[in-house]
Amino acid sequence: MNLPLFSTYTFDKTFFDEVFEKDEVIRDVYKTLFQLYSDHTTDDFKSLNEKAKASFFNQGITFQVYGVNETKEKIFPFDLFPRIIDNTEWEHIERGVLQRSKALNAFLWDIYHEQHILNEGIVPKEMITSSANYLEEMIGFDPPGGIYNHISGTDLIKHSDGNYYVLEDNIRCPSGVSYVVCNRTALKRALFGVFDQYKIQTVTDYAQNLLEILETVKPEGVDNPTCVVLTPGVFNSAYYEHSYLAKGMGVELVEGRDLFVDNDFVYMKTINGPKRVDVIYRRVDDTFIDPDVFRPDSVLGVSGLFGAYLKGRVCLVNAPGTGVADDKAIYTYVPEIIKYYLKEEPILKNVHTYHCNRPTDMEYVLENIRNLVIKPVDESGGYGISIGNRLTEEEIEKVKQTILKHPRKYIAQPIMSLSQHATYIEDEESFEPRHVDLRTFTLLGRKKDFVLKGGLTRVALKKGNLVVNSSQGGGSKDTWVLKK
Amino acid sequence: MLARVANNLFWMGRYIERSEHIARYLSVNYFSSLDAPNEHSQSRQFVLQSMLFMVGHPHKGDQILHEPDVLYNIGLNMDKEFSIINCVKFARENANSARDLISTELYEAINKFYHFVLNYSVEDYKNKMLYDFTSHIIEFTAILKAKIRTTLLQDEVYSIIKLGVNLERAMQVIRIINAKYNDILIIKNQQSIEITQNQQGQAVGDESQLPKEHRTDTGLEWSTLLKCVESYDMMRRFHKKTPNNINTLDFLILNENCPRSVVNSLAEVAKHIQVLSSEKTIHKGSSIFLVNKIYSEYKYKYIEEIEVDFRTFIKDILDKLVAISKKMEEEYFAY
Repeated sequence: MNLPLFSTYTFDKTFFDEVFEKDEVIRDVYKTLFQLYSDHTTDDFKSLNEKAKASFFNQGITFQVYGVNETKEKIFPFDLFPRIIDNTEWEHIERGVLQRSKALNAFLWDIYHEQHILNEGIVPKEMITSSANYLEEMIGFDPPGGIYNHISGTDLIKHSDGNYYVLEDNIRCPSGVSYVVCNRTALKRALFGVFDQYKIQTVTDYAQNLLEILETVKPEGVDNPTCVVLTPGVFNSAYYEHSYLAKGMGVELVEGRDLFVDNDFVYMKTINGPKRVDVIYRRVDDTFIDPDVFRPDSVLGVSGLFGAYLKGRVCLVNAPGTGVADDKAIYTYVPEIIKYYLKEEPILKNVHTYHCNRPTDMEYVLENIRNLVIKPVDESGGYGISIGNRLTEEEIEKVKQTILKHPRKYIAQPIMSLSQHATYIEDEESFEPRHVDLRTFTLLGRKKDFVLKGGLTRVALKKGNLVVNSSQGGGSKDTWVLKK
Repeated sequence: MLARVANNLFWMGRYIERSEHIARYLSVNYFSSLDAPNEHSQSRQFVLQSMLFMVGHPHKGDQILHEPDVLYNIGLNMDKEFSIINCVKFARENANSARDLISTELYEAINKFYHFVLNYSVEDYKNKMLYDFTSHIIEFTAILKAKIRTTLLQDEVYSIIKLGVNLERAMQVIRIINAKYNDILIIKNQQSIEITQNQQGQAVGDESQLPKEHRTDTGLEWSTLLKCVESYDMMRRFHKKTPNNINTLDFLILNENCPRSVVNSLAEVAKHIQVLSSEKTIHKGSSIFLVNKIYSEYKYKYIEEIEVDFRTFIKDILDKLVAISKKMEEEYFAY
């Protein structure tokens, strides 16, 4: 590549490159942007990169790194080269993730009520009964508006065949939406000139839509619901997001200690005495929400909260017990779940998944472990993942022993070729290809739904790395969805 | 507003205000002493002791104070609870807990302030950049107060912050007055000793008995006091006289038009606590009652009533302000 900023860029045809169609040939949607970037020298870009980092720092979008002697604040790495998705491609994604969220909601209703899908053998009963996230307390309970997964984060990748595949569904407390907005803000501040050349969908309407969704699931008999965001507190790594969402919605950001339950109603402690709370967008996991019912040692939750919920006096968002449907073992059945409840063909593809608890699948996994990714079914954040072709003989043996011991706990998938995207690498002072995925955000309410037109493009910053999670050293990019 | 968050906002206001007063006290005292007309005011030890007295940690014993250590402890030492860096850190921590309620502009300004202090070179500060450091602190706090005034909804959130700011301002101004008053007493005391020695055993005389170059001009200390509260120019404009004990104390304690006077701060406290109170009748013993009581007391006072027994005044007013702060915690911040 002639441009100094792309001097070390190596096109690799094994992967789908989001920016380059083939070596030195830029995809149409990126042409204008590429032209604009070519006006920048290496030093210009270095300085812009520093400014973008400072923007995050000044906004206080940081996380703590605890050392022996001191605690340092760091920003989540942000990349100045946005990912661009054209309108047609986006419409496909949007229809696909909404379809998935609706189907999973129908599935959750069914497994906590009549269990038709289990009785008809479409999803094996033991998948549910053996799941740590299935809450028996929720059986027979009708959540307000019939909604369980009000907020879903769906992780997508683009494979070398150019198609999007769903990697996983996150319907407990998916995080990352605040970074979508922050990335846009930082990019606008650093490279405002490029925005003249593209018509980009906004991402700032998420909080307003979230509030409207929360208000649709108010308890019976409440006209003007008081909604709040429940956070574990300032030390939680996603605290910035919690405060961002509360501020964006104009609602209170509460901690467990700010709430109490009296006569099955939930109140917050204000300077003018108790005030009733009707809808809680909780960013506290199921097991911590109520020490009376779940973990007794939890100081993050509220005593009596789950009881108030079951009496219909308050709505919890997402509903407790949704985790059973984003279990990676259930993931395999999502295409069937979509067909069963919606009578539609799945719009987005699933990555083929092998269940270690099925003897034939287990046999295949053990024989082909080098070509597979092994994932625990109930972990998130990229923890516990083993990528077959990166393991030593000794490590492979260890993984084999583990899955043989706990077959229900593991699934395996072919190693997917995550697409690559030009990413600014500070050490090289130039762009290099790095693997990316895309997390979309979908909202479901009573007679209302919404998909954020954008999403979080996560980047694996280490060369060749496929794990994009921020907890594993990943960064992120602004994601532009183009208007028609 | 949540009681916990109200508490955070109250303390955010207090710490912002506190950092400003400490920085100004350091700067004004240090630089005015450099060319002070008499030996006492010019003495490094005297200035360093005054700084420590102001932050509530008076120097005890005869040990010589080391200037870089004192500056470091008051400015950037995280292990000293009273340091400016800790005030800024606590202000930001409190802002973090109320981040959803304050404007993005205010939060970003606090955050920038924190990173400025955190990243300030300790060596530069101790050895050559005291003026730069303290000027920045004063400027940052002015920006913060402008952001508070111009970007927040003027509701309970605003009033809670303003309560913190004004209560702290009243307390800090009293502390500053007390510290400078203490300086003047030390000077006078020293002067008495010198006169005594000069008279070689005769009864203590007055200052006029000293050679001119040894006479102490406490007017400088009163001027310094006014500058420590950023009120020197306006005091001159108002009184048109050289600062002395009566006109300075009158201006800083009882002048309702002086934005930093104690009585002005109390008037602000009384105004903002009214916004928080949902009750129409004021109950005796409530924080709103106590605030209005102390405000009325000082509103209708002569400076001579205070000056005659200054130590009692200091103790009495600080005790009353602490009692108000405690009562507010009980009434509004209990969670």
